[in-house]
Amino acid sequence: MKRILIVDDAATVRLYHREILEAANFTVEEAMNGIEGLEKTLRSPFDLYLVDINMPKLDGYGFLRELRGLDLPQAPAIMISTEAEASDARLAYAAGANLYLIKPVRPNQLLIQVRLLLGEVCP
Amino acid sequence: MNSLLEQFLSEARDVLQGIGDKLMQLENAPDDAGLMTELFRLVHTLKGNSGLFDFPEMTRVLHAGEDLMDAVRNGRVAYSRILADRLLEAMDFVGLLCEEIEAGQGETARHAAASVHLVKGLRELIASDEPAESSPPAAAASVAELAEDFPDLALDRLPEAARMDAYRRACAGASLHWLVYRPSEQCFYQGDDPFFQVRQTPDLLWGGIEARDPWPPLAELDAYCCLLDFCLLTAAPRAALEEQYRYVADQVTFTPVSRFALVLPQGDTNGGPVYDDFATDARNLLAAGDLAGLARNAGTMLELSSPDLWIASALRWLRLVLESEPDNRAVLGALVESLNSLTTPDWRAAGWVERGETHHADAAIAHSPSQVATASSKPAQPDQASAAADQPSADDGFRSALPILPSDAAAALTAIVATQREILALSDQPVWLSGRISAAAAALSGCLRAAGAADALPELDAAVARALAEERGDALLAWLDDWFPLDGLADAGLKANIPVQPAMPVTPTDTQPAPAPATQPEPDSELKFGRRAEDAIAGPKSLKVDQAKIDRLMNLIGEMVVAKNALPYLAGRAEAVFGVRELSRDIKGHYAVINRIAEEMQDAIMQVRMMPVSFVFQRFPRLVRDISRKLGKEVNLVLEGEDTEADKNIIEALADPLMHIVRNSLDHGIESPEVRRAAGKPATGTLTISAAQESDRVLIEIRDDGKGIDPGVIKRKAYAKGLIDETLLERISDQEAVNLVFAAGFSTAEQVSDLSGRGVGMDVVRNAVEKVNGTVSLTSECGRGTRLRLSLPLSMAVTNVMIVVSDGQRFGVPMDSVVETVRVRRAAIRTIKRSLTTVLRGRIVPLKSINDLLGLDAAPQVNGDDELAVLVVRLGDESVGLLVDDFRETQDIILKPMTGVLGGLSAYAGSALMGDGSVLMVLNVKEMLS
Amino acid sequence: MTIEFKRNLAVLRDMVTVEEAEGLLEWLQKKPTAKVDLGACVHLHAANLQVLMAAKPVIQVWPADAALRLWLESALTI
Repeated sequence: MKRILIVDDAATVRLYHREILEAANFTVEEAMNGIEGLEKTLRSPFDLYLVDINMPKLDGYGFLRELRGLDLPQAPAIMISTEAEASDARLAYAAGANLYLIKPVRPNQLLIQVRLLLGEVCP
Repeated sequence: MNSLLEQFLSEARDVLQGIGDKLMQLENAPDDAGLMTELFRLVHTLKGNSGLFDFPEMTRVLHAGEDLMDAVRNGRVAYSRILADRLLEAMDFVGLLCEEIEAGQGETARHAAASVHLVKGLRELIASDEPAESSPPAAAASVAELAEDFPDLALDRLPEAARMDAYRRACAGASLHWLVYRPSEQCFYQGDDPFFQVRQTPDLLWGGIEARDPWPPLAELDAYCCLLDFCLLTAAPRAALEEQYRYVADQVTFTPVSRFALVLPQGDTNGGPVYDDFATDARNLLAAGDLAGLARNAGTMLELSSPDLWIASALRWLRLVLESEPDNRAVLGALVESLNSLTTPDWRAAGWVERGETHHADAAIAHSPSQVATASSKPAQPDQASAAADQPSADDGFRSALPILPSDAAAALTAIVATQREILALSDQPVWLSGRISAAAAALSGCLRAAGAADALPELDAAVARALAEERGDALLAWLDDWFPLDGLADAGLKANIPVQPAMPVTPTDTQPAPAPATQPEPDSELKFGRRAEDAIAGPKSLKVDQAKIDRLMNLIGEMVVAKNALPYLAGRAEAVFGVRELSRDIKGHYAVINRIAEEMQDAIMQVRMMPVSFVFQRFPRLVRDISRKLGKEVNLVLEGEDTEADKNIIEALADPLMHIVRNSLDHGIESPEVRRAAGKPATGTLTISAAQESDRVLIEIRDDGKGIDPGVIKRKAYAKGLIDETLLERISDQEAVNLVFAAGFSTAEQVSDLSGRGVGMDVVRNAVEKVNGTVSLTSECGRGTRLRLSLPLSMAVTNVMIVVSDGQRFGVPMDSVVETVRVRRAAIRTIKRSLTTVLRGRIVPLKSINDLLGLDAAPQVNGDDELAVLVVRLGDESVGLLVDDFRETQDIILKPMTGVLGGLSAYAGSALMGDGSVLMVLNVKEMLS
Repeated sequence: MTIEFKRNLAVLRDMVTVEEAEGLLEWLQKKPTAKVDLGACVHLHAANLQVLMAAKPVIQVWPADAALRLWLESALTI
């Protein structure tokens, strides 16, 4: 089973994404900020990351930069934000995101993207 | 309620509290950038969360709050008290919505107007950075201006047929509204389709679409910047319109339209049949009430006129009014006059058309979460009924989803590929570049495998290797050009940034497609990533537990304590009845072990129930701020010992008395700045609330440096109210006088204020504190301040009671009020002044029959030696003997307060479940004897 | 695709979505004399509508959908 890490400080958003992903048989772990996300990644890297931008301690950009700097097999990351400005997307890409989505992400759309990035055939 | 909504409400409560706290802290440190960032993040989080649900009113307000805080954070807007006020007000609104949602009143649409008002208040602050003292003048002005700009709504552009149709609907009782919808320029990015929205307007009579500004040259047009304005005439009720436009309430104005405003003859005013007497005849016919004649004349005239003429239009209106409301002579008269003068009737001057009040005139561009969601909930939507299977239930305020197009996956793949192209083309050289390239390659690899093009993987891998070696994305870009030629993808990269389809959550369990059955095997991945199963188990360190579960544990441990208490009895029986001393000893030994475990368990559960006093304290900064401002006082609140813990029940019982004491202190204790300065004190008063633990008690102290209590004033008041007599007035000490404020019916307020007045005095505080076995004491120094000390038990969960029997029933009496148990010979009981008394250790003790006190119709029973059982209890400084039938053992019980109807029975402190399943009523001695 | 671009005629069908607007605009920018066939169109996203309003192409066929036709006639014939 593919493992996905949700890095978001809002428990509600984490639960929302978790429910979507678990219903599609993915294994989900959560981190409340970038630091926690890195800790979990170092213990065992994930197959995909869903990353919020605005978080305490280490924000989403910081998390991605650190993640991409790690000497680990790199996995795709989706940055999920509420800011609808394209400049944010560019910042996200530069930091190491592979996709930039705007909250709230429709479940089916999220699953399509996640499956594509993980190389799974969409049902 | 589903778990996601529950999670949302729970997190919202915490976040709202956090926002309140941060705002309070900012009052004292308005330049603290860290606090400001924290505050922004909290509002941002809450807004993001609310966006997952269908709560547009909440999201709208939070979005405005977020924008405002963003502006403050970036230094564009200065922090101010007004800003804090408005933000607090907005958060109160959000809290209110949360409460309603929690109570199952998910329909928040009726708050649309309130939310728009709040949004306006918040956005004004962003716009001006010179916050006006209050919002209403500015708001009122803009509404008035708009009304001026809207003198006649340009209704004459509507075709006559549409106006006549609307007129008929209005005559039939419908209310007409003119609706102007100016979508925000970014609305397409938010998933809105304003055209679809207006097409779904209920009871639409006419609609027009206009460019907001003259169109730019086509080469410069931005297709995704909405430049359209919509105007509609509808006969739908106001509420239906507000519902339909609730997601964009801030972009819409409604103006009620009088039906007469539609009666506008149009056409060529030159020419027409020469029939000078028509007007004269019409006037006479109207005066004579010959409406049939008037209609006939009008018909004839109409036949003679070309339909394009103004006069023909006026005649058609005349006939319509004659048909629809023949009794409305004034209107008919005005039409006849206008036929004479060939000018449109001035309905407004005639008072027939009031100036419409335009509503929701909020021109500020505000966020609108997808309004397509509203549209999709309307059954009238074409072409989408087939997607019903895809639509989740609309329960719990979730938005419903639009159908998923079959091409979604293909489009998403194109977008992902285009995004990776954009990433690989970035020209910066960060230290994490190789990781970024690898991640893009991983994304592309996923797309290939998902698309079933696994045979392309080797080439991709080769390109990745080259790109990593060169430390630039070119090799991968070249590979991309081979495999995904750029044609037809021109704008895919842009699209990837734009949630073209509104992203809408649904209840996942309802709608998730079955898990992918065709997952391609990946033999390597397990090893490559070296993951361990136990990694998945790492969970959160703290739990939120439902109160009911803790209560159940409490009850169980209560039963356990009681059941355990049966063991010594069992041991006694083993020895006395069965003569097995050894077994008896074993049972006693085991009892000791179980007793220890039970006590520790009890203690552990108590610990779970402990919560910090900050739970109560945290509301005071806001309260003190609001009240002191209202009273025009300057107060500095100091909180100490917020970490001190006590049982949940105690903490909760503390809330109201503490609130009252604080209000009293602000109201009567701390003086206004002028008075304080005159008395040589600092203008700002200090109110300190501290908590500390002292053995098994929690001490709460509330002290202020206000004017204190004047014992002389208290004495005179108490005397005037008949609380003390003349002798006492002479003899009473100052401290005793001060304590009189606790007497029932005493109120020191010169005038009843709306804060602490209302005739509720300190006696209420004392009663509330005593109910949880607490005490309250007050010391005051005139002119220097007042100090109130509350002493409360750390826990009220376990009570040691003595069980007594009377009239065949068992009752519990809390041990802390029991002095002794004695047996008194009937002969030793005297009747003094019709009251029973006896003498114990040289003191006269009044005796009361428990049966009498409880209204039981039975006399106290004596034992074989003609003795009565007397339970001596303490009542203040006095001792009173309770006549019961017999004493039994003492026991630890879990006291549960009486609820419902029984809550009104003050004779009982509560009830407890016993080990044998029976219920023990525990007496409230003080109440019973008073 | 709900828009079919012929030589000098764009045929809009069914529900024309927001994504089509960019393509429609580009096509109309290139073909100032283009005509539009809306006969089989039941709805077009506002983004497409404003492209048509700004470009003012000749409408060769109005929508068969009467309600849509009313809206479009007032918006596109001014």
